[in-house]
Amino acid sequence: MPAGSKDSAKRKRTSTGDKVTKVTKRRRSSNEEAEDPNAKILLMEQGILESKKNYNDIATLLSIASRYEDGEDESTLAAVTLCRIFLRLLAQGSLIAKKGLSEKDSVVVGWLKDQFSQYKTLLQNMLGDEDLAVTALTLCMRTLKAEGEHLYDKEEYTFPQAFLENIVAVLITSDNEDARKAFLESYVEEYDDIRYYTFKSVKAILNRLDKDDIPDNLFDQVYALLSALDGVPQSAEELEDFYIPRPKKKSHDLRSAIQHKRQGQDAWLAILSIVQSKDERKRILSVISTNIAPWFTKPELLSDFLTSCYNTGGSMSLLALSGVFYLIQERNLDYPSFYTKLYSLLDKDILHSKHRSRFFRLLDTFLGSTHLPAALVASFIKRLSRLSLNAPPSAIATVVPWAYNLLRRHPTCTFMIHRDVQDPELKKHIQNNGAEDPFNATETDPMDTGAIDSCLWEIVQLQSHYHPNVATIAKIISEQFTKQSYNMEDFLDHSYASLLDAEMAKDIKKAPVVEFQIPKRVFLPQDEPAANPDSLLVKLWDFGEPAKGVAAA
Amino acid sequence: MAGSQLKRLKASLREQGITGPQKSKKQRRKQAQDDPSRNDKRLQRGVVLEGIREQFNPFDLKHAARGPKFEVTTNRPKPGNAAIKGRPGLAKAAAEEKRKQTLLVDMQRRNKVGGILDRRFGENDPTMAPEEKMLERFAREKLKSHKKNSLFDLEDDEPMDGLTHMGRTLAFDDQEDPVDDFNEDDLEEDGEDSDGSSREKRLKRLRAIIAAGEEEAEEGEPERKKTKKEVMEEVIAKSKLHRYERQAAKDDDEDLRTQLDKELPNIKQLLSFGINGARRQDNAAPLSAIAGVERDAFDKNFDIEVKRLAQDKRAAPSNRTKTDEEKAEEESAKLKKLEEKRQKRMMGEEVSDSDEDEADKKRDQVSGDMEEEEDDDDEFSLGQGIKARPTATELGFDDEDDFIIEDDLVASGSDLDLADSDNEFDNEGEEDDDSSASQAEDNEDDDDEFTKGLLNESETKNPIFQANFSSNDKNDENGLPFTFPCPQSCSEFVSITKDYDHANLPKIVQRIRALHHPKLDSKNKERLANFAVALVDFVALPWNAETSPSFSVLESLVRHIHSLSKMFPIEIARQFRHHLGEISQNRPIALQPSDLTLLTAIGTIFPTSDHFHQVVTPAMLTIGRYIGQKVPREMSDYAIGTYLSILSLQYQQLAKRYVPEVINFSLNTLCSLSPTAPSHLLGNFPIHEPPAGSRIQKAKAVGLRRLNFSDCLPEASQGGSNALKIALLSTTIQLLDAAADLWTGKSGFLETFSQAIEVLGHINSKSSREHLPAAVSDKAERLEEKLKRMSRVSQLARRPLELHHHKPLAIKTYIPKFEETFDPDKHYDPDRERAEMAKLQKEHKKERKGAMRELRKDANFMARENLRVKKAKDEAYEKKYKRLIAEIQNEEGREANAYEREAKARKRANRK
Repeated sequence: MPAGSKDSAKRKRTSTGDKVTKVTKRRRSSNEEAEDPNAKILLMEQGILESKKNYNDIATLLSIASRYEDGEDESTLAAVTLCRIFLRLLAQGSLIAKKGLSEKDSVVVGWLKDQFSQYKTLLQNMLGDEDLAVTALTLCMRTLKAEGEHLYDKEEYTFPQAFLENIVAVLITSDNEDARKAFLESYVEEYDDIRYYTFKSVKAILNRLDKDDIPDNLFDQVYALLSALDGVPQSAEELEDFYIPRPKKKSHDLRSAIQHKRQGQDAWLAILSIVQSKDERKRILSVISTNIAPWFTKPELLSDFLTSCYNTGGSMSLLALSGVFYLIQERNLDYPSFYTKLYSLLDKDILHSKHRSRFFRLLDTFLGSTHLPAALVASFIKRLSRLSLNAPPSAIATVVPWAYNLLRRHPTCTFMIHRDVQDPELKKHIQNNGAEDPFNATETDPMDTGAIDSCLWEIVQLQSHYHPNVATIAKIISEQFTKQSYNMEDFLDHSYASLLDAEMAKDIKKAPVVEFQIPKRVFLPQDEPAANPDSLLVKLWDFGEPAKGVAAA
Repeated sequence: MAGSQLKRLKASLREQGITGPQKSKKQRRKQAQDDPSRNDKRLQRGVVLEGIREQFNPFDLKHAARGPKFEVTTNRPKPGNAAIKGRPGLAKAAAEEKRKQTLLVDMQRRNKVGGILDRRFGENDPTMAPEEKMLERFAREKLKSHKKNSLFDLEDDEPMDGLTHMGRTLAFDDQEDPVDDFNEDDLEEDGEDSDGSSREKRLKRLRAIIAAGEEEAEEGEPERKKTKKEVMEEVIAKSKLHRYERQAAKDDDEDLRTQLDKELPNIKQLLSFGINGARRQDNAAPLSAIAGVERDAFDKNFDIEVKRLAQDKRAAPSNRTKTDEEKAEEESAKLKKLEEKRQKRMMGEEVSDSDEDEADKKRDQVSGDMEEEEDDDDEFSLGQGIKARPTATELGFDDEDDFIIEDDLVASGSDLDLADSDNEFDNEGEEDDDSSASQAEDNEDDDDEFTKGLLNESETKNPIFQANFSSNDKNDENGLPFTFPCPQSCSEFVSITKDYDHANLPKIVQRIRALHHPKLDSKNKERLANFAVALVDFVALPWNAETSPSFSVLESLVRHIHSLSKMFPIEIARQFRHHLGEISQNRPIALQPSDLTLLTAIGTIFPTSDHFHQVVTPAMLTIGRYIGQKVPREMSDYAIGTYLSILSLQYQQLAKRYVPEVINFSLNTLCSLSPTAPSHLLGNFPIHEPPAGSRIQKAKAVGLRRLNFSDCLPEASQGGSNALKIALLSTTIQLLDAAADLWTGKSGFLETFSQAIEVLGHINSKSSREHLPAAVSDKAERLEEKLKRMSRVSQLARRPLELHHHKPLAIKTYIPKFEETFDPDKHYDPDRERAEMAKLQKEHKKERKGAMRELRKDANFMARENLRVKKAKDEAYEKKYKRLIAEIQNEEGREANAYEREAKARKRANRK
């Protein structure tokens, strides 16, 4: 029906000469129709742009484009063509219902608007498609830009938020990696307004969700979308890149950094509300202090999440530590018995954890103050040196310089490595009974462990560690303390692999020493066990029957 | 001193005695007698006058602006006349003079081109007489044309004497010298020609002749009393004469002797002629042949023989044959030395045997600085690399040198015994006998057992023997050929040996080594090195219970590698490291049984007690990585881990270093295998959740066995039978036992093994016991008891740490150093660079000021000169002008006069 009315309206205005050409053109196009659909689409485009009469072809193109699921090539072309058409129309203002328009014209405008929204829906659907997503995204964004610029013929700034929200919703729900990446890299990270409205959309989408029924991979998608955003605007001056020309009013939300941050904060809060599994929490925690907390104008809002994570224990606590520290540092968060909690983190797994270096970086900061009570520092040192008895070499290489630095900072603690007993009675007691270790490993309060009265026998044992470098590092405790402090960064990131690589990287230049004596037996028991006893290996391991072996050899 | 300048001058002249009332003759004479230095009076007078002049011309001298400074200790008195600081007048005059000579000349020459410079010698020297000039010029020209300027040029000395004929000069002896016909008499006559100076000379000479004549005349006169001086001269002259006489006598003797020497050959000839003549008569016929040999040749041979005899080494007393005790002592001393070196290496100290290590030592000391060392890991291990022992070759007991048969392997009962190989080598038996003696003699030759008996020195040289070897068809009774090509890679070795039983491998290796002994061919060394590498690869081949060679064979191969590694330490170490690198790249926590063999081989071939070792350290890290990081999923993982734990304990048998991973792994193994899960935390070791079905259940009746390699294969241990678990459990318990023994003295023993006690307590708990065989729980219980006992001992032995009995560090002081000879003018800047800089700056400033002053003076001088020139010009002009004016006026005046006269005359005429 609208096609007919449009046609009549057009006929009224166009001159006869025009008509002739149009007709011929149409004819020609219909002739070629069978031969080349692509050419036909292009012709249609030309026609539509030339005259309003051909607006009906928009519907045709739409129907072609909507057949994308069948994998037809021309559907993509049709979509692209439509995009071009609508961009042109929007620029012409054909989609704006002006006051002075005749009834018929307003009908046309209404019809076009309808088509436009159909087209947008189509694009959104295409966005969900695996192959066409990236193309669809480009089209979407182009359309979005044009819509924002031209659809509303007013001075006021309008952002087609609903459209963006739909786009984001599609991106979040589909697991199309490429489209999301493209969206992130070329739009969200580039343009401040897109980022602003993306945050807004995410928040809106997540808030609409049913809390009891959250799709499994929703978190992953949202997290992937937002965790990459780290360029927090600090001031209004930084807001320069706008996809759609920025609003003129300076007081507009879009031009205030605080509003941007607030959107980010709201979006993240929405995400935090859908966090379910432990793994998701860990992922959040891993970026919380770098990518998430900066968005928060009120980081206190994070404190609930963080404290609950911190109290969980295990690696979760380790991860939450940096967030908590951020709050303490930036927001003056009062965390009761922080050091007790920190001390409790020093469990048997800490030195084997893969977050070890991260933890030590923080620990170094926490214990950096020289105003900490010596008893507390001593507890930390003692506890970690106790743990290092069961630690891999790379961890020992971290613990010892760290302990050195602490001892250097807290001279009172050096009694742990050098205790000259003066009391004659006590001396005698030690002579007779040996020194007792007053350290209570099970005490949870670092102030009461008695570590300050203990000694670091553990580190002395590590001085005879099998790895030469680790042993040498451990020896710094008994050397004279001439160095002000060790740079912890040099010792943090080591592993078996890196130690091995360091060894293997060195080429042999000098002939290595060879064991002087060739043993008579390697795998088999000695002939004369009395003279040279069997090696441990031979005693404990069965290398096949020696009798038979000898006979065979 | 008042009065006018003139008055003062007069007064001072009088004072100095320069002017004064005239003295009478008498007075003057008296004065002359009183003052012997009258002759210098003129001189003195000059000095005095100079002083007076200075005194009366105060502006010629520069004095200090203010009076002298107060006397202070640091004020050095200036040498000379301190009051006068300079003579500005003199300096100015000198400067002016200098400028006139240089700048003025330049100025005058300015803007002028060309000109002739007279460079003739002495042309500008007014002091030279024309004759001298000529002479000098002539000499120079000669020198120039001669070209031979060098004083030491000997080449053309003869011609300098002039031409000769038949050795005689061309001079005319009988005639007067045609060239130099100059004599003094002539001179006298034509004295007018020569100038004054030469005349003076001549006069002098004349005077000297006259004086000599006078002396001669004096001699004739009666002797007068000699002065002391004359006496002394005479004495000296006499002694000189004597000396001369002695010298002459000596020369005569010398001449005589040389003459005699010259004659000696003649006499000799005479003598020899007599002898030869006699012999010639004896055998006249075979004159030139002795015993059928050409005479000359015979002589030559004879000479050679004599020389050889002379060169023959004299019998020197050899070392006394040592007694058995002495030998044993020596042996023990050597072992002790080696052990000492090992200890040193264990401590990570530098052990150097030769000078070449010195450089390394220094480097090590530098890098040994702890502070630097800590900075990164690479620096750490820099210092530890030591080449402590000389290689076997250096010590001289390399197995390539001697082939001493040693029946060590034979005694072990293997069929490597050569007795049953055929009698290919004829003197084998003897060798065998010898060997027992030589073995006792040289314990070092242990290594040679590997190539034993196959070759000896003489045989290697025997071509027949080599031919024998090269014939391929000969096989011994086992079907083993005697010759093998030297395999250059592992695959070659495998392909060579695939036809033979694995048991024969050691024999094949032995034969290859003997056949390709470096002595036999220069290329063999390289081949053997490749072979050694191939052997390492062979040992590292994947292990399989069925197909792999038995451990006795592997053992023998490992020992072969060990022996070869003394010859090729670098190649073999490199190969081992290559395998370790491969492990760490490809399967760091999925080791295979072959890797275990490899690691074991490393443990025997290289000294594991070294603080740092290029092969052992990575190997130990590989072990640690596995047992530290592996989360056991299969029983085979536990088995491999247990093996590696045992191995690492064995590695540390001597050095007793602590390996945390062993404790962690074995305690975790115990926890995983124990029939019940521990209810509470047993220690600080990481506990991995054991795989399902790992716990021992109802194994009361299972017998004990030891672990073996097939347990390490995942498919073999799949079932996870109780027997295997029990074996694992009991081995781990034994392992802990050994670990406790090893680390018994460690300061953290209590903390380390308290965990073990807890874990053992858990295993010994009632709920666990009922599932375990009695033997195992018995073992566990005994170990727990033992550990508790050891803990008590350790507790008793524990003392508070006293690590820092260091000498207190001196506080850095900045008290200025006391300078012995302090000079206030000198700058004692402790910062050397700054001091030098300041010095330079000062110098620069000074130079700059000086240069500016000079330039300014130059400009003044030039301006002055210009002005002078201009003035002179103006004056000349003025003069000329005036002269012209005067001339004109003169003329005009004359003309005017003439006119007037003419006018007057006309007037007069008109009047008339």
